[in-house]
Parts: sequence; structure tokens; C-alpha cells
Amino acid sequence: MNYFPDEVIEHVFDFVTSNKDRNTISLVCKSWYRIEKFSRQRVFIGNCYAISPERLIGRFPGVKSLTLKGKPHFADFNLVPHDWGGFVYPWIEALARSRVNLEELRMKRMVVTDDALELISRAFVNFKTLVLVSCEGFTTDGLAAIAANCRFLRELDLQENEVEDHRGQWLNCFPESCTSLVSLNFACLKGDINLAALERLVARSPNLKSLKLSRAVPLDTLQKILVRAPQLVDLGVGSFVHDPESETYSKLLTAIEKCKSMRSLSGFLEVAAYCLPAIYPICSSLTSLNLSYAPGIPGSELTKLIRQCRKLQRLWILDCIGDKGLGVVASSCKDLQELRVFPSDPYGVGNAAVTEEGLVAISKGCPKLNSLLYFCQQMTNAALQTVAQNCPNFIRFRLCILDPTKPDSSTDQPLDEGFGAIVQSCKGLRRLSLSGLLTDQVFSFIGKFAEQLEMLSIAFAGNSDKGMLYVLTGCKKIRKLEIRDCPFGNIALLTDVGKYETMRSLWMSSCDVTLGGCKTLAKKMPRLNVEIINENEEMEECIDDRQKVEKMYLYRTLVGPRKDAPEHVWTL
Amino acid sequence: MGRASAKDYSPSSSSSSSSPSLVDSSKHKNHPQNHPQTSLSFASSVCRNSSCNSGCSSSTRRGRIRRGDLNTDLRLGLSIVSPDAQKDNWIDLSVSKQREQRQDWPPIKSLLRTTLAVAGKADTNVNNVHNNNSDRRRASLFVKVYMEGVPIGRKLDLLALHNYDDLISTLAHMFATSIICPAGDRADHAKSLHVLTYEDREGDWMMVGDVPWEMFMTTVKRLKITRADRC
Repeated sequence: MNYFPDEVIEHVFDFVTSNKDRNTISLVCKSWYRIEKFSRQRVFIGNCYAISPERLIGRFPGVKSLTLKGKPHFADFNLVPHDWGGFVYPWIEALARSRVNLEELRMKRMVVTDDALELISRAFVNFKTLVLVSCEGFTTDGLAAIAANCRFLRELDLQENEVEDHRGQWLNCFPESCTSLVSLNFACLKGDINLAALERLVARSPNLKSLKLSRAVPLDTLQKILVRAPQLVDLGVGSFVHDPESETYSKLLTAIEKCKSMRSLSGFLEVAAYCLPAIYPICSSLTSLNLSYAPGIPGSELTKLIRQCRKLQRLWILDCIGDKGLGVVASSCKDLQELRVFPSDPYGVGNAAVTEEGLVAISKGCPKLNSLLYFCQQMTNAALQTVAQNCPNFIRFRLCILDPTKPDSSTDQPLDEGFGAIVQSCKGLRRLSLSGLLTDQVFSFIGKFAEQLEMLSIAFAGNSDKGMLYVLTGCKKIRKLEIRDCPFGNIALLTDVGKYETMRSLWMSSCDVTLGGCKTLAKKMPRLNVEIINENEEMEECIDDRQKVEKMYLYRTLVGPRKDAPEHVWTL
Repeated sequence: MGRASAKDYSPSSSSSSSSPSLVDSSKHKNHPQNHPQTSLSFASSVCRNSSCNSGCSSSTRRGRIRRGDLNTDLRLGLSIVSPDAQKDNWIDLSVSKQREQRQDWPPIKSLLRTTLAVAGKADTNVNNVHNNNSDRRRASLFVKVYMEGVPIGRKLDLLALHNYDDLISTLAHMFATSIICPAGDRADHAKSLHVLTYEDREGDWMMVGDVPWEMFMTTVKRLKITRADRC
């Protein structure tokens, strides 16, 4: 079998980058297992409680790049208590103790403390990349530690985190010798920024390609930064308000025109529409535009801007663009692959921001569309059927009707047929979110046709246990199932308990599963953690098996029940 | 997130292992959204009829009212929860008196939610003047207008206007004179008697019309119609 020395085989394995493939390689023989084990550098852990840090280190001692995910997805929408878990410190501690040469750490929905950040900065000398998405628990002091101690830092990317801003001088903490920055994103910070320190940092970072500023960075600083960094590819604008007649503004125009490499724009956290023409010169080369955090741009201005972005592949906007605006997108952005339309007025009633018309227009004009997140006032089966026909390449299809139980707005029928058409036509669909009035029928379609489906989000849908059963039996590749406010109960939960070991996790909240049902499941499946979350004090007094559980989260795990759960989270 | 919403999600003492079919919420007649007051009677009547024939024990006397004690709901001033617990739960909460902003629907990230909430409240964000969604929330922007030689001034709501032309014609009407706008056609200069000026945030008096309308709106404090020969 081994005609080649280990080094040669290892070199061959270097070309195999997908973890799935590498897992397969390890199964071939003991020798390959061993070689692969020591040469594996990138590890992805989709649920930090499925495995322990010790076992990770034992399995892949050479790990250099680690991705960790903590809280369940619905934590993004305030359905999970803040102290549920997902603490990264134990991981850092274990990795540091074992002298793992960690270079990259990417975390999503984890609790990251300043202590953890400090430990990272001191324990891993070659640390290069820190990416935090939707995390919490740290302050700018932790960032200061990273800045000060990570001598070879290349990426510091903070996406939508909750950071306590101590208005410290964390930017000042980057030493003068730090010149390796490639990507810096601090858009989610709320406090003041030392602008001079920022300018100096940019000036000494010749490799800087991605920079996303917070709201505290004004336009004149932006202008100075762009003069220093015309090589930027990805820019997140902080504040964009200034007198268009001023010298600063005209200097900005000049600076922007020199940014020939700019491909991606985002931010505009504070914006005056009359300043937008400054970015027109770079619109024609933009491939990605994210204006979802810029409610200050009226629909008419959005349209004017997007009309010029003919190469756009990714567009994230607010629904104030309107159906007409989406029509402009459809006629201008022929290369569009990903579209996200967020609600600008989440609690508004009857502001017909975008409807099925906009979506149909997009589907007609943008045949390459494969990823969608669409918040709308209403939808029809006919529209969904048209979309399914026009865009059979959807990988991700997430529709959210602001009134979640709204039927087809023209026929008053459930939207089963429409979603049925989507799953039938889009054979590569991996992620789906449903909304609107839906019966068990839609789940029958999903179970039958959505063969590649890996993640499904359901809210306020279905009539009976049959709905959930269709999905569990039909979708062979389902990994994450999250359900809220649906009439699915113990029968659905307990019919095929083995299924859950083939999945990463199942979330059910405000459904009909009872405590007794969950206990039964936990008993039958020792390699699942079945967690019950109860924020209601009443539950303490009458623990009745017949009681419905508020929130249940179960996931497969190799390390048994976790020890860091707060009081109101029980592992059965 | 207010505790009120947590209360609504509390499991009740009633339960059943099978899920009865739900009333189709497309039948609008008894839809709780339309009849918040009658939903209580709706709840009790449906309880007696529909789901209780699935063999519920006496402990399910309150039937499908599984979201907490009904009496408690009333005391807390929350909307009544009907048997269609899942769907109507959302509906009731959305029509509750306080119009309490739910933190878990629509499903958007907290950061976006707070960004939009702040933007909605910001009435000094003048860029929303032409935005359909905010017109309803906008109050007004009244500024004083004086004409030279006339001691008594007028007040004008700038937010009711859309551009400089609007402003000029409204003022011309108010003061029965023709006003020149510097950004306008220079040929009219000879015909007009007056010029429009404004005091900006810094206390300086400037000619109206040089800057974009939206920008003008952010800096104007008051207006003055002066004689053309004075400028």
C-alpha cells in the first residue's frame, strides 16, 4: 500500500482541502489515518458541545485553523437566553496548554471574554486571523490585547458582535512594527475611535485589502484613509455626511477615483443621500454591495446607485427600494447571484414595501440567482411558481412574509403549492426558510423533493405531526432543523429517534412536545444532549411530564451532557 | 425582551399528546386579529367543540389554551389567546395594546433591529423627507420668515415643501411679491424686487439656493426676504 514515504503522501494530501474528503481519506487505512491526522490544519466544529477541546487536540494535534460555532441559530432572534452557553475560554485554555500552534480562529455565536482574547494574544505566537461573528462578552480591552500582542496579525474581523466599548485606545495598541494587516473590520463598534491612530495604522499597512469602519469615522478621515490605501478591495463606510461643496468632498472624489481595485462596498452607517454621487465612479466595477445598515438612503437614491452597478453579484438592501427598485435591479444586474432584502420597517403594517412583484421581476432578470433572503409584505403561489421556473439554481431560499401566517394574497390559499414548486425545481437546494400560511402539504413536498436540503427553518406552519414526519423521513441530508410555533408534538419527535444522530441539531420552541416526550427521547438516545430551556419560573413548581416544553434544543455529541449550562437549562 | 412575551410562551398545565387540526386562519370572520374583544368567547366555544373530542382528560378542561393562565393574561392586559395557539399567539401579540415591539419577529439580527429602530425615531434625519415610510412619522419644521420692512413675521413648515421652487412660490404667495432665487434663472433678476436669504446654524446670513435642498433643510434656522438692491 505505501509505496511512497510518508512525506510524499502528506504532500499529496495537501491538495485535498475539503474536510469531507479528508475525512474519507482517513478511513482508507491506518497509515493514511495517521498521516492525515498529523497534517490536518483546518478543523470546523459546527457545534462546540459536540466534542471537547481535548479530543480535538488528540485527534488533530497539528490544527492551525479552527472554526467554532456555539449558540443555536435562533439565538440571533432573541430566542435563546444570553447565558445559555457557548463559552470559548475552555477551548483557548486547552489549546494553549497543549501548545497548539493556532494561527486562525473563527467563531460564531460564542461567548468570548476579554480573558479569552488576552490568552489568545499571548499563547499563540503565530496568530494571524481572528473572525468573530455574532459573538458577545468582550470589550475593546480584549481588542487592545489582540492588537498589542499579535505580532503577525493579518485579519481582525468583527461582524455584528455586541461589544462593550470602553472608548479605550485599542487602535493605538497596534505597535508601530505591525505592518501585516490585510483585513480590519470594526464596523459594529459603537464608541469613539482614535482617528489619528487609525490613519497611521492604515498608512503602515501596505497589504490592507479590506477595511470596514464604524459609524464614528467621519468622511474627512475616510478621505485621508483612501488616499493612503487606494489598493482597497473591500470598503465599509462609517459616516458619509459632508458639505458637497467643500474641499474635503472634492478631495474625496479624487481619492475614490483612484481606488481602481474596489469591488465591495458596505456600511454607510450614517449617510446623506446627496453625498452618494461620490461613489458613482466605482460602481461599475462593484461585485458586492451591502446597504442593509443604511436606512438613511431613500429608495430613489438606491435605485440611482444600483443602476450603475452592472457587475453586481451580491446585493444586500433594505426594502425601501420597493418593487420598482427591484425592477431596476433586475434590468441592471444581470450577474446577480445573491440577493437579500431586509425590512426597513419591521413592525410596519401595510407599507407595501416589497411584494411578490419585486421577486418575480428579479427572477426574470437575474437567471444566475442562487441565494435569496427576502422579507416581504405578501406572496402568491403563482409568483413562487414563476420564480421556481426562472431560477432553478437556488442553493439558499429564505422567504419571510412579515405577517407569518398570511395566505396567498390573491387567492387566500396556503402557500404550499408555491414552496412545493421551489423545492421541486431547485434540485440543489440546501437551505430553506418558509413562511406564510402553510399546511402539512408543504412538508410533504419538501420530504419528497428536497433531496439535498441541509437546513430548514419553520415558523407558524403545519397542521399536525405528519408535517414534521414528512421532513424527518424524506430529507435524507437534513442537518439542522429549527422549528418554532408549530403544532408538532411527541409523535413527530419520537417516531424516528435514530434520525437525530445523523443531524447536527434540532430546535423546537412553542410546539407541542411535552417534557415526557423529551425525557423518553433522552433515555433512548444517550449520544444526544436533549436540553430544555425554561425561562418561566412557574415550571419549577409543577414539573409534570405532560407539560409542554417552552424550548427544546437537541444535538448529537460525543462528550455527554455539558457542565456549563445555566440553571434554567436542563439536560435530560 | 419584556417578560410579558416570556409569559406567553410558558407551557400551561393542559396538554395532549396529539395535535388537533387548527382552524384555518383564512376564515376571517372569527379571526382574533379582527375581533380582539370577542376572541375570549371564541376561545371558550371552540374549546368545547373542536379539539376536546380527541380524548383529552379533564385536566385539559381549558382545552387548547396552553399559553398560560387565561386569567393571568387578562390581568396582565395581554390579548386573549385563542385555541389556534401557534398562529394566533403571534397575531394576538401583534395587536396587543402596547404594540410592543417583538424582539423575536421578524427574524432579523439584533444589530439590524436596533439600527432600524434608531433610524425610525430620528426626526432630524432629513434624508427621509422623501422616503414614503417616514412621512407619517415626521412632524414639521416651522421656521420664521420676515420680509424686510414688515415687523410681523410669518411661519412656514419647510417639511411641507419639496424643493426650492416650492419654497419660492409659497413665499411669493404669502408675501405677495416676486422673489428671486439665486439658483434660478438670472434673467429674472431685473423683474424681482426681493431676494431670499436664510440664517444658518452658524448664525451667518446666506443666499438661498446654493446648496442642495436636503442640505439646506439641515442648516436653515430662519428666513428673510430682503430688498434686491441690498445684496
